[in-house]
Amino acid sequence: MSARARKPGTGIISEINMTPLIDVSLVLVVILLVATPLAFQSSLLLSTAAASRREAATAAAPDRVEITVLSEESVRVGSAVVPRPELARALGPAIEHSASRLVVVRCADGVTHGTFVGVLDEAHALGASRIAVVGR
Amino acid sequence: MRRRVRREGELITRINVTPIIDVALVLVTILLVTAPMMSIADLPVNLPKARTREAEDERNVSITRSVAGELAVDRERVTREQLGVALRAALAKPGNDRVLVVVRADSGVPYGEIRDLLGEARRAGARRIAVATRQREEAPK
Repeated sequence: MSARARKPGTGIISEINMTPLIDVSLVLVVILLVATPLAFQSSLLLSTAAASRREAATAAAPDRVEITVLSEESVRVGSAVVPRPELARALGPAIEHSASRLVVVRCADGVTHGTFVGVLDEAHALGASRIAVVGR
Repeated sequence: MRRRVRREGELITRINVTPIIDVALVLVTILLVTAPMMSIADLPVNLPKARTREAEDERNVSITRSVAGELAVDRERVTREQLGVALRAALAKPGNDRVLVVVRADSGVPYGEIRDLLGEARRAGARRIAVATRQREEAPK
């Protein structure tokens, strides 16, 4: 870019004024930074109940991992009841040993949605490939 | 357009359109960013937090359930009795046969009600179902 933007004597400004462009760009960056976490929720995919039954039926019983959320504080993994904070310790090896990595989740009616999603999230984080939610 | 050479001391009599273009572009961007929020019902919902994430930024049909028991399908508020009809209508729209149905429920809602909503979505013909979460930032323990 020429350093001599204004031609002497003519009054012509031959340089592109970048200030509005930079102004707009910075405002856009700030808006995107602020609005992105608010606008875009994420989500966890569930297998529908019908698909869950098919998957649960096709996966051999030892090959799938069954979890039942009994209450806010306790979860059953297979046949062992574990406190909620120790779920990862019990669930991790179970998913590791499962070839299909299918996790079938049941949940008691009184448990809050937050706890239910927390268990799904933990199963997903531990490597579950699919999570099937079974009604009752 | 003919370019006029400005002489020393001459007044600029043209309107400077740069600020209006500036403001207009910012407004366009604000509208683009907030458009996804406009398709969600204005109900107070504290989504459960999760570290992992799967489906996002995807066109979806949302079922919103507030902690007070109010329900909405996309932006339209419905009663429990109207939910099935509203869902079927949403899923019957062109291109929605395999659309993701997202259940947006408050983290304090009992699971029994979530199970009913999931069942209702399945009966209405939803093939792909997800539960909405908010991203949790802290590292896993």
